[in-house]
Amino acid sequence: MAAPSAAGLGRRLRAWLPRLTQVRWTRYNPSFLEPEVNKELYRKPWDELSEEEKEKQELRALQPIKAAPPSVSCSVFSDPMISKFTNMMMKNGNKVLARSLMAQTLEAIKRKQLEKYHKAPEDEKEKIECNPYIIFHQALKNCQPIIGLSNITKGGKTYQVPVPLKDNRKRFLAMKWLITECRENKHRRMLMPEKLSQELLLAFNNEGPIIKKKHVLHKMAEANRAYAHFRWW
Amino acid sequence: MAAQRAGAAAALPANRRHRGLPRAVPRRAEPSRAEPGAAVMAAAIRRLLRAGGRRGAALVAAAGGPGSQTLRLIYTTTAAWKKNVAASGPEKYTEAFIKKQIEEFNLGKRHLANMMGEDPETFTQEDIDRAIAYLFPSGLFDKRARPMMKHPTEIFPEQRKIQWGEDGRPFHFLFYTGKQSYYSLMHDTYEKLLNVQKHQDQLAAQDLPPQKEKKNLVGSRWLTKTELEEMLLEKLSDDDYSRFIQLLQKLVMMPCGNIEENYIKKFSREISAQLQKVVIEPLKYDEQGVAFSTGEGARKTSRATVTVYDNGTGKITVNGIDVLHYFPVLQDREQLLFPFQFLDRVGKHDMVCTVSGGGRSSQAGAIRLASAKALRSFVTEKEVESMRQAGLLTVDPRVKERKKPGQEGARRKFTWKKR
Repeated sequence: MAAPSAAGLGRRLRAWLPRLTQVRWTRYNPSFLEPEVNKELYRKPWDELSEEEKEKQELRALQPIKAAPPSVSCSVFSDPMISKFTNMMMKNGNKVLARSLMAQTLEAIKRKQLEKYHKAPEDEKEKIECNPYIIFHQALKNCQPIIGLSNITKGGKTYQVPVPLKDNRKRFLAMKWLITECRENKHRRMLMPEKLSQELLLAFNNEGPIIKKKHVLHKMAEANRAYAHFRWW
Repeated sequence: MAAQRAGAAAALPANRRHRGLPRAVPRRAEPSRAEPGAAVMAAAIRRLLRAGGRRGAALVAAAGGPGSQTLRLIYTTTAAWKKNVAASGPEKYTEAFIKKQIEEFNLGKRHLANMMGEDPETFTQEDIDRAIAYLFPSGLFDKRARPMMKHPTEIFPEQRKIQWGEDGRPFHFLFYTGKQSYYSLMHDTYEKLLNVQKHQDQLAAQDLPPQKEKKNLVGSRWLTKTELEEMLLEKLSDDDYSRFIQLLQKLVMMPCGNIEENYIKKFSREISAQLQKVVIEPLKYDEQGVAFSTGEGARKTSRATVTVYDNGTGKITVNGIDVLHYFPVLQDREQLLFPFQFLDRVGKHDMVCTVSGGGRSSQAGAIRLASAKALRSFVTEKEVESMRQAGLLTVDPRVKERKKPGQEGARRKFTWKKR
């Protein structure tokens, strides 16, 4: 239904479909490029840029650029991974609540780490990581699976075939597991920031239920190694 | 017997009659040449039919053998003569018709010039448009519905000539694919590709390095699908179009692709530097000698006007209210600060804004755009360009999508029920 009605409205909106037919369309003309918000890149003098960067700059000088979305800013506090995670945590469009939960989680992580830091003896103080952003990124990285399973039907039977995952998919799975784990396996009265900070710290140390889930997935993929040749892509 | 049958022919109006085109042979744009003798006979019998008779009759030429045509009388109904509008496709114009239209247009142009008291020799299309708008004022909303007088090539779409000869044999060898222009284009482009490969192989055989002067793709774009359709006079599917563009890109990416530059130029267009048209207003000074500049911004249904003052402390006032009270959410305040932070001018300017319409996020976006536009006057051209590339100076075109009939919302469909 979306495609025919989109075509009717889309003539004015210039919906040009570059690859094989897509149903999604945007209000932007397809020649618009994504905005680059990092101001350090614009401070670099011309000579320091590599060949590729120079070509890219030239291309961007002539093409129109899309508007920066409201969730993105050039301040040090806006992080694309954290924005993505906040959006996934959001329910019914309540971004305010999701952001406050995220802020409380990062604060809780910092508090816990600082407590540990102050209690630790001198020689171990350097090893304790207090920056919540670093802990968040490392925890997500530790949760990312390398290989996934895909359902392929052959000869009437459906097999679980091990399949390499794309970067986007890995990040998505890590975040999804984290959120579902925090929503389901907790005590009724426990709040989300507390549970999330707990899980993130466990994942940072390569422990906890999410890391276990990742290992289980890897073992299943290893066990179904025999069906790997079913994959055609 | 023949006279009786002739007597029974109907006195139908002339336009319902058979026009001289033999009906048994398929319809073509040009009438096929019948034998002169048969034509004379046909004319004679037609005169007889026109003279008398009531019931509908038609004269049909049947091939009676090589080189001779016998004429037979058949009885038809009006239903057989009715034109099948749907099957005939878009209206086809002959070359003679278009020529006549052009003559009429030129004549009419001179008459119009005389009417308006202007010189017929130097009467341009703009003058014509103005004259028509003056003589036939119309309040119709759609510009295309108003009276217009344009050159016939702009009004009548370009059409293909007949693709087959008198014997019914098509001219082009790919006619029976159905998309002859498209496939012949792909064929030619692939031929160029093979040429380039051959050239590369020759250079490799002589141990010469391949030419590295790549055509600068920066200021050019490929033809859009509509432009390509106009060029080929044929409908294309999206898949066809994307395949063609992929092939062109492959041709360009090859090291010796410069050989076929002329061919490739036909399919690329220059992107005119439309971005340099924006005029940045100079700074204004108020009574105290403080420099200020204004900007306007919009996002969804919000409209904002902003005045940015120099020598400030970073104070922001929105609709007379302090920014902390007006935008309690951190995300909105981050958006307001975005342009200042990008230019490293966080505590240096004061801002006074008025905003109306929309919700909290769209008002923040409108103020962000307005302040970025105002800051252009304070800043060098290079920084303006970097602001543009950061997406601060583009109006966000995203608006709420309309609800469609038969669906619950813009995208959500009604619940599917099996029964």
